[in-house]
Order: sequence, then C-alpha cells, then structure tokens
Amino acid sequence: VKFYYFHLMPYRMEHDEPSSWVTLSNRNYDPALGHVLYNQYLDQFEHAERLGWDGLCVNEHHQNCYGTMPSPNIMAATLARRTTRARLAVLGNGLPLRENPLRIAEEIAMLDVVSGGRIISGFVRGIGPEYFSTAVNPTHSRDRFLEAADLIVRAWTEDGPFAFDGRFYRYPFVNPWPRPLQRPHPPIWCPSQGSTETVDWAAQRRYPYLMVFTPIKRIAQIYGEYREACERHGYKASRYQLTVNLPIVVAENDDKARRIARENALWVYHVGLRAPLTFWQPPGYLTEASFRRALANRPKLPTELTFEELEDSGYIICGSPATVRDRLRIFADELQAGVVCSGLAAPSHEAALDMMELFAREVMPHFREDAGVDETAGVGR
Amino acid sequence: VDVTQRDIVVRGTPIQSFSAGGGPPLLFLHGAGGAGRWLPFHERLAARFSVYLPTHPGHGGSPPAEWIEHISDLAFHYLDFLDGQGLERVHLVGSSFGGWIAAEMATMASHRLASLVLIGPVGIKVEGWVYPFLFALELPELVSTVFHDPMQAMALAPRDMSSVDGLAELYRERAALARVSWNPYLYNPLLRRRLGRITAPTLLCWGEHDRVAPLACAQVWAKEIPGATLTTFGASGHLPHVEEPDAVADTVIGFCASRPLTA
Repeated sequence: VKFYYFHLMPYRMEHDEPSSWVTLSNRNYDPALGHVLYNQYLDQFEHAERLGWDGLCVNEHHQNCYGTMPSPNIMAATLARRTTRARLAVLGNGLPLRENPLRIAEEIAMLDVVSGGRIISGFVRGIGPEYFSTAVNPTHSRDRFLEAADLIVRAWTEDGPFAFDGRFYRYPFVNPWPRPLQRPHPPIWCPSQGSTETVDWAAQRRYPYLMVFTPIKRIAQIYGEYREACERHGYKASRYQLTVNLPIVVAENDDKARRIARENALWVYHVGLRAPLTFWQPPGYLTEASFRRALANRPKLPTELTFEELEDSGYIICGSPATVRDRLRIFADELQAGVVCSGLAAPSHEAALDMMELFAREVMPHFREDAGVDETAGVGR
Repeated sequence: VDVTQRDIVVRGTPIQSFSAGGGPPLLFLHGAGGAGRWLPFHERLAARFSVYLPTHPGHGGSPPAEWIEHISDLAFHYLDFLDGQGLERVHLVGSSFGGWIAAEMATMASHRLASLVLIGPVGIKVEGWVYPFLFALELPELVSTVFHDPMQAMALAPRDMSSVDGLAELYRERAALARVSWNPYLYNPLLRRRLGRITAPTLLCWGEHDRVAPLACAQVWAKEIPGATLTTFGASGHLPHVEEPDAVADTVIGFCASRPLTA
C-alpha cells in the first residue's frame, strides 16, 4: 500500500452560526494565527516526506473554516521546492469553478516541471457550497467539468497552437508553455462521491478513483462499480486506481486514540462540515436521476453523525498501532485499495509530528510489500 | 369558473397549460413557485378575459427543456406559444420571474401586446440594489423575504415535500430557474437598455413592502418604459396579486379593459 499524507488545513474554531461555509464571516479569520497554522501544516507535510510517506495531498475549498486552501496549486508550489521525493497530489482543482481552466493546465505543468515530474493532478467539480461562493452556475457544473477536463488534457498532449471552441470555454490559441514533464501528462485522479456517471468516466480513462470521507460499505460498493466499469471498458483495474481518503488517529492505546479522534472528528463533522441542506444541494448540480437516487438512499448530514457511527461505519480509523493495522487491513486486503490518503488528526502541531512518527514506525512498515512498485505506472493517463 | 388543464406542445417543447374564462385573451406568466396555481386573482381576471396560465418548462407539470439556457429563450418560447394558440395580440401579465419574461417579450414584440402588466418584476440591474439570493435561503427566511404577511405564503406552499416525486419536482423547478438566473442573478444585463423599445401601454404593480425588488426598482422600471403607470399596494410584499388579489385584479382589469385588442 502507498501512503499519502493528506491535509485539509483547517482553521479550527468554535462558533454557533448555522454554516461554516459561504456565510461564516471571515472576520473570524485571524491572519496572524493563519500564518502560524499554514507553516505548521507545511512543516507536517515536509515531515511526512522525511518519514517515508509516498505522497502529499492538497485540495481546494472556498470560503469556509473547514479547509483554508482556496488555491491548492500554491501549496503544491511551496512543497515542490521543499521536498524532493514524494508525489505531490493536488486533489484536486475544481475545474468548473474556473472561468479560465487553461490556467489549470498551465499551473499544473509549471508544478510538474519545477518538481521534476512528481505531480498528480486531481480533477474535481467542487462541492455544493462552492457554487454559492464562486457564483458559477451549478446547472453547468457537470458539462463545464467534462469540457474543461477535455481542454486541459488536450493542452497537455497536443502540440500547440490549436483552437478550442467549446460551449463554455473558447480559445483561438491553446498553446501553453511550459508543457508538463511527465508524458503524456501527469496522472489524473478523480476524487468523487460515487455518482454513476463519474465512476464510468474515470474508469474509461484509467483515472484512479478516490473516495473521500465515505462509509466503508459505500466504498466497497463504489469500488465494485468502478471495477465493473473498467472491465466493461476492456481492462482490469489496477489496485492503484482504487484509493481512499480517511482520517487516522494512532496513539499508544485504543482509549487515548479514541479520545483524540472523538474530539477531532466531532469538530470536522459537526463544525467544519456544518452547512444547511440548501448549500449541499445547489440546484441542478445533480441530474434529476442522481438526485432521486440520493433521496432514496439519503446519507446523513455530517452534523447528524455521532462519533460511534463515524467509527463503526469506517469514516475514520483510530486506535493503538495494532488496532490501526487491523483496520487498515480491511482497506488493503478486502477492499484492495492501493493508496491510502490520510491526515493524522492530532490535537496540536507537536502531537501531530509525534503521531506521524508513531504511524511511520509502527504501522507503515507492515504494508510495504509493494515498496518497489511505481503506483503511477500505467494509471491516470 | 371551469379551469381547463391541457398538455400541449409549443414548437417541439411539451408543456402543461391552464385556461379559463371568456373574452379577450390574457396571458399570465407565473413566478417561481407559481406553477400551475390557479389563484383567486386569476379567478377574478377570468370573469373578463380568456386567461391562459401556462407552466414554464421544468416547473410544476411541464418537463424540463434542455434548450432553454437564457431568459430570452423563454421569451421566444412564449412568442411561440402565442403563435401556436393562434393569439395575434394579447394582454400580457407577469409576476416576478414571469414579469421578467414578459418584459423581454415586450422588447421583442411589443406589437403583439394590447397591454403589458408587470407585477413586481425582476430582470434588470438597479444601481444600489442586489436581489437577495433566494437560492440560499431556508424556507422561513424565504417566506419572510417574499411575503408581507407570512400567512399568505400558504397559497404557494409546495404541495408535497415528503415524497421523492414531490422533492424531485421542487429540485427540477429550482434547476430550471437557476439555468437562466443564477449568474447574473435575476437579471439580464441587456434588458434595461432595451426597455425603451416597449410601445405597449404598461402598468407596473408593486407591493410597498417588496423586499426582493423594493420600490426603488419600480421607479427605474417606470422611468425606462415609456409612459408606464405605477400603482403600489400597501399590504403586500413581492407578490401583491397573492396578498391583495382583489385590489390588484381591480387595477389590472381597469387598465387592460380600456386597452382594445385591435390596435
């Protein structure tokens, strides 16, 4: 199994507002504290590389206290110069949220060239609240996503200049300098929530599918659908196309880990992801068929989940090194996930560094049968 | 009066349409949440006019139309509706979002209109005013923003918010609205400068407590549409024809009845 270190870069705070997204006033953001946090989070990333993590993951979210990374490419840029070995996974850029997605092709190519070909490029649609924060029409979300993805891949792979004349994006000259270092282009990953259309789209293109903060039963189901889709498209999915993102807490014993996890998970789900249904469901973001499927099997709102449910249904892993190893076996052996992206949720920066060391010493070495394998060979492009 | 419900096809686009009454034809274009609502206001109009109440594509019982991606598409759709129904000239009345469509139509084909009545329309940019972003509001906030008397909201309350079909209908309707109004939000930047083209006699009806498009907006509409008359209603918010149906109906009937259908 490959381990990627994932960080949301949260701005942890308590508040009584109905939403941590879109409307929570930025007067609550203290830039001086933000300076400390950003640098601690980046230190944790650099520490992760030293401790043996295979990749470092950043991602894009807007106007909230849950994750303060509106531009993941900027964070990847700082890491590109301060790390030398780890893959840098931008999971991802919100394609439809950009008015000029050619900038994504340019920025990722820059990162790939600077980092010596270590970039993984996630393509995402952005979640519901982002359509309120960016004012992009959510009814265009899927079509803009597909069109921007097509544009970016062509910009990376075809000799320029060429004209691109889409419904949303039009360029008389597509000819980005630089071109990416990796050929034909950096691996593309598809972090998603399991919509049928996206599973098939990713499978057809060999883009690894990343399940983020999802109960284990649903991961198993979507992995199954993805594998079937790959076979329908004439090939067998590599285990490195099946990736998962979940927070892990490891401590000397189960009780301590659970205490830390409870406090952290409850913040993430009850505060960080607090938002009314209207923000989660912008009109037209889903097709009516997907909306009906979602209603028939409506997942709970994050704020409705208890810690016990989070732990039992596999949203998080917590425990002693032995417990964490056992839980990870489910992902590695039963679900056959090839890449585990996880942040280690610790109560402080120092505790996070210690927890990372414990994980690297007591957990990671037990999953290294594939140490010599390049997880990006033949996938994502 | 007896209200007839029909499924019709408007130049390839299937919709549901209601009609009732007798007399000169009057086309009413509903606002958000007004799909398929035959209200006391319509009942009053039907005593003097043949009232047509079609449902916008994607709203209520009309299926979504993928080709509609701009407000002018809806305006053309209703010009097609007039052609399809054999209506050479009509009285055109629109509320809120429907008023926006009606205004677009009037800039395109004023000669088809014996009169134009806009009830709290949206659709133009007014300096110093940003329409509240209704897509982001929870139901209680939505009601208090749209209505002067919240109890009046019952007239437009969703019929079914418990079944999958009912919720899917609401979602479909919000998506149809968002397609043409999310950004720019509730206006067409090109419409305001075209309002001067309107030659139909125009009546503006406005709730004095309108919090979606306050009276300051009414003044701009009155200034931009040549010869427009503005009448305000003291016990209404954004939907005066719902909150004061008789008073608004009296005003509308008085205005339209004195405008002959043949020019």
